[in-house]
Amino acid sequence: MLRVDNLQVRYGAIAAVRDVSLEVQQGELVALIGVNGAGKTTTLSAIAGTVKALSGSIVFQGQSLIGKSPEAVLRLGIAVVPEGRDIFPSLTVEENLRLGAFSRHDRNEYRNDLKETFELFPILQERFHQMGGTLSGGEQQQLAIARSLMAHPILLMLDEPSLGLAPTLVTQIFGLIVTLRSRGATILLVEQNVQRTLQIADRVYLLNTGRIELQGTPAQLMAEGAIKDVYLGKEK
Amino acid sequence: MKTSRLTTWLSSYSTIIILSVPLLILAALTNLFADYLLLRIVTALFVSLIVVLGMQLFMGNSGILAWAHVGFMGIGAYVSALCSMTPAMKEIAIPQVYPFLLQLHLPFWAAVLVGAAVAAVIAALVSYPLMRLSDAAGAISSFALLIIINSVLVHWDRVTNGPRTLFGIDELTNIWTAVGCAILVLILAYLFKESSLGLRLRASRADYYAASAVGINITLVRYYSFIISAAIAGFGGGLYAHYITSFTPNAFYLTETFNVLAMLVVGGTLGISGAVVGSLAVTIAREGMRAIENNINLYHLLPFDVIGLTEVFLATVLIIGLILKPEGIMAGRELRWRPKARLEEAERNSADGAGRG
Amino acid sequence: MFTLEFLVNAISSGSLYALLALGLVIIYGILKMVNFAYGELIMFGGYVMYLVGSITGLPWIFVALAAVLGAMIISYLTELVAFRQVRAKSLTALLITSFAVSTLLQNAALLIISPRAKAIILPPIFSTSVTLFGATIPMRNIVTITVSIAMLVGLTLLFRYTILGIALRAAADNFRMTRMLGVPANLVISSAFVLSGLIAGVCSLFWIGRTASVTPTIGLGPLIIAFIATVIGGMRSLVGAAVGGFAYGLIFSLIGVLLPQGLLDYREAFMFLIVLLILVFRPEGLVRTKHAEERIG
Repeated sequence: MLRVDNLQVRYGAIAAVRDVSLEVQQGELVALIGVNGAGKTTTLSAIAGTVKALSGSIVFQGQSLIGKSPEAVLRLGIAVVPEGRDIFPSLTVEENLRLGAFSRHDRNEYRNDLKETFELFPILQERFHQMGGTLSGGEQQQLAIARSLMAHPILLMLDEPSLGLAPTLVTQIFGLIVTLRSRGATILLVEQNVQRTLQIADRVYLLNTGRIELQGTPAQLMAEGAIKDVYLGKEK
Repeated sequence: MKTSRLTTWLSSYSTIIILSVPLLILAALTNLFADYLLLRIVTALFVSLIVVLGMQLFMGNSGILAWAHVGFMGIGAYVSALCSMTPAMKEIAIPQVYPFLLQLHLPFWAAVLVGAAVAAVIAALVSYPLMRLSDAAGAISSFALLIIINSVLVHWDRVTNGPRTLFGIDELTNIWTAVGCAILVLILAYLFKESSLGLRLRASRADYYAASAVGINITLVRYYSFIISAAIAGFGGGLYAHYITSFTPNAFYLTETFNVLAMLVVGGTLGISGAVVGSLAVTIAREGMRAIENNINLYHLLPFDVIGLTEVFLATVLIIGLILKPEGIMAGRELRWRPKARLEEAERNSADGAGRG
Repeated sequence: MFTLEFLVNAISSGSLYALLALGLVIIYGILKMVNFAYGELIMFGGYVMYLVGSITGLPWIFVALAAVLGAMIISYLTELVAFRQVRAKSLTALLITSFAVSTLLQNAALLIISPRAKAIILPPIFSTSVTLFGATIPMRNIVTITVSIAMLVGLTLLFRYTILGIALRAAADNFRMTRMLGVPANLVISSAFVLSGLIAGVCSLFWIGRTASVTPTIGLGPLIIAFIATVIGGMRSLVGAAVGGFAYGLIFSLIGVLLPQGLLDYREAFMFLIVLLILVFRPEGLVRTKHAEERIG
């Protein structure tokens, strides 16, 4: 349902994304992995509309996303949980979630959504009236994901959800992603934690300096051993 | 191959020449052919240019809006006036003036320089803590400084005659004085830009954190630059005082701030060419509009008097400029003479050298 | 000295200043820009009062409504025509634009109406007084307090419970993320400007109610007060702004009492000195917010 072709993104004179093509089918969990600075976040930002693409095409369910504002992209059905979570610190958990549901207009639906949210993220029910800024890193991550889910996205994009979290929390977050997928969600995941990502993803793209170096199922990538080369440097 | 040293030297300092020569020509032509009114306008242009260049020196290189700049112009104006006015005049103009100020009597240049010095000293005393502040706090604090300066000028009756007009200053700024000082300040601004201090300041504008990481003490660099720009403002103020011969504190407040900002922004804040071009453009626009305004009123072309049309026009132009081309006419480029022939020759020679290697 | 009259007067001023500050902070929170044209919104409200009052002769309540509506509309227009186009550029460009808009509006008033002050017809209630507990209290103060407090309460409710209010607060926290949740950027910003205009309009009723006249430069005074109050209270929070307004009133009165006779004229300068000191030593203002945030870069 999402198809990116020959994407190019520049920040001024610096080419962050040189030539990226990828696709995400319905119900898949597709991962974008790569070292720092490979262009993963930039790719997501281009899809989400927060960064302008220089050239290339991004098509979602038959519609081009090029030139669309972040609001428009959300309305088409793509929700992004950015790197660093970006929850609203001076709003309560409740208000964060309510804002996530901005694009929905049914009050009953909102109530049901909240119930589901509490099932998936019980801690948010506990902290419902607390300010977002007082939550711990892991809790903020859950809030960010829950908030994006309130919009009933067709495609959920997650940028480094495990960043800065303790190992037990990382397990929790990855477990959450699997749960979401088992409920039928389509997910595009950007991660630096390669090991865990390969365990759960359907397909993986490996980015390096703005280009796709490898792609395939986790099994294929592991077999080739090429991932190690990219991350640790080629053996001469 | 030899590129003439003279050519290289000329190229780097060509900006100063390219800007100064038209100003001198303008001064000469005005002096020879213009009527009194035009002479006054052109003199005012040169004095404004000095103040604008002072603002450009700080704002263009640091990226920080210096709202208080015109306040220092006012300080320079009042101090130089107090120094140069005769005691007899002071007694009439400022009824309750302090005795030690009454006795003060300096020749023109000394008075103007003292004005600049006092502005610099005051800037030195108060501005250091403000240099650390970020965007928003910095803008507000410099605005606050402007208001404080204005408040002091308005209320310190015994020095400034309060909100009332201070009159009786000798008209000692003529067109040659004005253009000469403008060119001097132009050279100063240019040298500053290329100096070590200027480069450090520009680095801090380009990337605050990178500059700090390289060891630049940004607060200190801003501080020194601010003092220099305040001194120039004070200098301009002193010249202004002896051009206009009477003024109130309101002459150095929001209206003048708007004028200076308009000139700088229209021309482009990033270079001295912008300051010159902007001052010329805005002065022409303003005087043109004022002429229209006066004629409409004089000949009753409309059933009512138009007042404020000039300012409405200028503000509109400024807004449109900010929308369409915020970097100004010059967009930060400097007018330069680049001797193409020599450069091509140099390129060819270096290519030969690389080929052989 | 602390008579009932003084107290009522202080609360009346304080609540008005709190409102003033709020109108300024609403825009600052989202755009990080000090709207120098804010004072001109009040001026505009005043001139609407003058024009509607002198041309139509309607009862004051309609004149007041027209003034408030006028301020809201002109605020919306300044955003639509000027600020929206410059928003994407630097903050400096925004600041200069707001200064230019301020100059334009002031001189437009000069041009279209007159440089001379114009008298505003006030409702008769503004000149009456009531006697409470032996003190004579002008009705004007009571009306000011009532309306200001009602506005403050209303705005609090708006920001707390409506989705628009939540969106505005979120936008002040993180504008980009707000957009990524589907909230249209233009809606948020236009709403902020309209709200700011609403507040300015209401403030103009009482600010001009003090002098019963309007001039092109009448906006500078309230702008400066809003300025100072916002800095004192903290530019990041709405509560802070309101508290700052009251604090301004309090500090201003205190300065008036504490300063020696000779320095009384410099009250305003002293207020600004306090502003500078706060900016240098405690830029986030006097009101503690529950979290600290830094603007990087």
